[in-house]
Amino acid sequence: MIRINWKHAAVALAVLPFAALLFAWIGFFNVGASTGHWKITDWFLHFAMRSAVRTYALAVNEPERLPVEAIKPAAGHFARGCAICHGAPGEPRSPAAMNMLPRPPDLSYSVGEWQDAELFRIVKHGVRFTGMPAWPTQNRDDEVWAMVAFLRALPDLDVGSYRELAYGNAGAPELHTTSFGGAVAECGRCHGADGAGGGPATPLIAGQSEAYLAASMEAFAEGRRASGFMALPAAAVDAAEIDALAAHFAALPPQRHDAGQEVAQDRLERGERIARAGVAAAGVPACLGCHGADRNPLYPRIRGQRPDYLAQQLRLFRAGQRGGGPFSHLMTNAAKGLTDEDILDLAAYFATQDDPGR
Amino acid sequence: MLAPFALCGCSGVQSALDPAGDESAIVANLFWVMVIGGAFIWIGVIGTLLFAISRRERPVSDAGAGRLILWGGAVFPSVTLLFLLAFALWLMPGLRPFATPADASMTVEVTGKQFWWQVAYRLPDGSRVAAANEVRLPVGKRVEFALESDDVIHSFWIPALGGKMDMIPGRRNRLSLLATKAGTFRAPCAEYCGTSHALMAFSAVAMEPSDFDAWLAAQAEPAAGVSGEGREAFLRNGCGACHRVDGTEANATIGPDLSHVGSRKTIGAGILPNTEAAIASFIANPGAIKPDAKMPAFGALPAAEIDAMAAWLKGLE
Repeated sequence: MIRINWKHAAVALAVLPFAALLFAWIGFFNVGASTGHWKITDWFLHFAMRSAVRTYALAVNEPERLPVEAIKPAAGHFARGCAICHGAPGEPRSPAAMNMLPRPPDLSYSVGEWQDAELFRIVKHGVRFTGMPAWPTQNRDDEVWAMVAFLRALPDLDVGSYRELAYGNAGAPELHTTSFGGAVAECGRCHGADGAGGGPATPLIAGQSEAYLAASMEAFAEGRRASGFMALPAAAVDAAEIDALAAHFAALPPQRHDAGQEVAQDRLERGERIARAGVAAAGVPACLGCHGADRNPLYPRIRGQRPDYLAQQLRLFRAGQRGGGPFSHLMTNAAKGLTDEDILDLAAYFATQDDPGR
Repeated sequence: MLAPFALCGCSGVQSALDPAGDESAIVANLFWVMVIGGAFIWIGVIGTLLFAISRRERPVSDAGAGRLILWGGAVFPSVTLLFLLAFALWLMPGLRPFATPADASMTVEVTGKQFWWQVAYRLPDGSRVAAANEVRLPVGKRVEFALESDDVIHSFWIPALGGKMDMIPGRRNRLSLLATKAGTFRAPCAEYCGTSHALMAFSAVAMEPSDFDAWLAAQAEPAAGVSGEGREAFLRNGCGACHRVDGTEANATIGPDLSHVGSRKTIGAGILPNTEAAIASFIANPGAIKPDAKMPAFGALPAAEIDAMAAWLKGLE
C-alpha cells in the first residue's frame, strides 16, 4: 500500500503545468462555438463578468445627469457599430450574431438590468472573452455617457422614432461607401443634409472652412483626433472623397446656432473680454487672434457655433485629449489656463456672434 | 595650465572683473583687495610653516612661542578682519544706493518669465515704452530698475554693471545701476528657473545719453518697416494672439513685444544671433531651440510663409 505524503503532493504540483500544456498541445479541447458552454461554465463566466462590472463600476465618476441632449450622435453610432449584434427597434439581431458565443443580448430588454455606471464601464472598456469591443478611444468619456443616455432611451423607442433619431433622413449606414452621394449621406445622418443637424452636442459644419473640415476628417480617420462617433464614419468614407466632402459642406449656406435659452449678459461680457484680450495672467491668448476674420483657413470658424460643442472641445483641449489637424497643438497650449467658468463664458460668447466671413 | 581658462573670466561681455558700472567697479575693487591681501597672508602662513619645520641649533623658547601665538595667531587676524569688515561696510552704501533717490527720470520695469524678459521703460510723463529681452540705459545716469516675476523666481544680473537681484513672484524688488562706459553686455538669468534656465539671458546696452534719448524716442513709435510684406502672414496665422507689434492690430502681452525685434542684438532671449534664418527656425520649432518654451511650433506652415514673417520681423528696427 502506497502512503501519500507531502513529497507526492509536491511532485504532482510540479508536473501539473506540463500536463496542462500537453493537454492544450494535443488539441482535444474543443474551442468551437457551435456546441455552447457547459451549463456550469456558462454560469461561472457570467457570474465572474457581472461581479467584475459591478466592482469596477464603483470607481466610475457619474455625471450629475446623463447628457440626453447628445443622444442623436449616439444613436447614429449605435446604428453603425452596435445594432448588428444587439439589434434595434424594427431590426432583429443578425443571424450571424445569434450564433456568437456568448450570444449578444437584445439591449431593448436587457439594458434595464444594469446601473448607469455599469453600462458606462461595459461600453467604455468592452468585455473580455466576448465579442464586446472597447470604445474606439479611451479619451472620450463624454461620448460614452452619451451612449449610456441613448441606451436608457432605447427600450422606449418605436421603429419610427428610432429611425428618425439614428438615420435622420439619410437611411441606414453602410459599412463602406464608395460614392460621393453615399459619403454625403454618411455625414448627413448626424450633421443633417444642411450641415446643421444633430442637436446641441453636434457641431454645425455648413459654411465651415474647407481646409479645416478636410484636415479634421483626416485626423478622425487616422486617429489623431479621438472620437468614437467620428472614427467609424470617417473610416467608412473613401479617403479620396474627403476633399469633395469638405468642399460640399463648406459651400452650404452657413447656419447659426439658434439660441434656445437666454444667456446672462455678464457671461457674454466676460466671454468677449477673454476672446479679445485673453487672460494674460493665466497664459491664455486672445481667441480672436486666430479665430478672427481673414485667418489661416486651417483655423476653424467658431463664431455662431453651438455652445455645448465649443465648451466640450475646450475641455478636451485643456485636458490635452483633443488632437486634430496640424495646428491643434496651438489650442492645447491656449486652453491650459482656462477655468470651467471661462469655458462657459467663451462658449456662450462665440455662439452668439455672427461670422462676417461665413 | 588652467590659468588661461581661469583668465577667460577676467574680461568679455559677461565679466564682473571688467567693470563698466560704478557698482561693478566697487565689486571688482573689493575682489582685488581680497585676492591680493589673501596672497600676502598666504605667503606669510607658508613662511611661518617653513620656519617651523626648519632645523635650528636650539629650539624656540617657551616665551618666544607664546609671543608668536599671541601676535600671529590672535592679534594679526583680529586686526586684519576688523579692517576688512570696516572696508566692506564702507563700500556697502555705494553697492545698494537705496537711500540716495535715483534720478527719477525713468524706471525700467523688468519682469522675468519662463524663459524671457518683459521690459518696459516708464517715463516721467507716465508713458510706457514696451520692449523685451534687451535693456538699454544711458551712460552716466543712474537708472532705477523695478524687478518682478510672473511665474517662478528668476534673478536679474548684469555682471559688467552690478550685482544680482532676485525677481520674486508677488514682490517688486528695486535695483539701481549706473553705467560708466558704453558697450553691450550679456546678462544671464542667475537663479535656476526651469528647463531652459541656461538659455535665458538678455543684452544690456549702455549708450551715450544723446544716443539713448534718440533710441527711446524711436522705440515709442512703430517701426519703419511695419507695413511691409510678411505682416499679413503674421496676423493671419494668429501671432497677434500672444505678441504685440506697435502699428498693427497685434496687441497682446503673453509673449515678447516684437515692435522693434529687428534691432535687438539677439533672438530667443539671448541665445541666437538676430538673423532672418534664426527667426525662421525659432518660428518653426521653438521647443527645439528652447525646451519647454511656451510658444507652440508653427512648422506646419509653408516655408515661404515662415520666411516672409521672419524677413518682416527682421525689418522691424
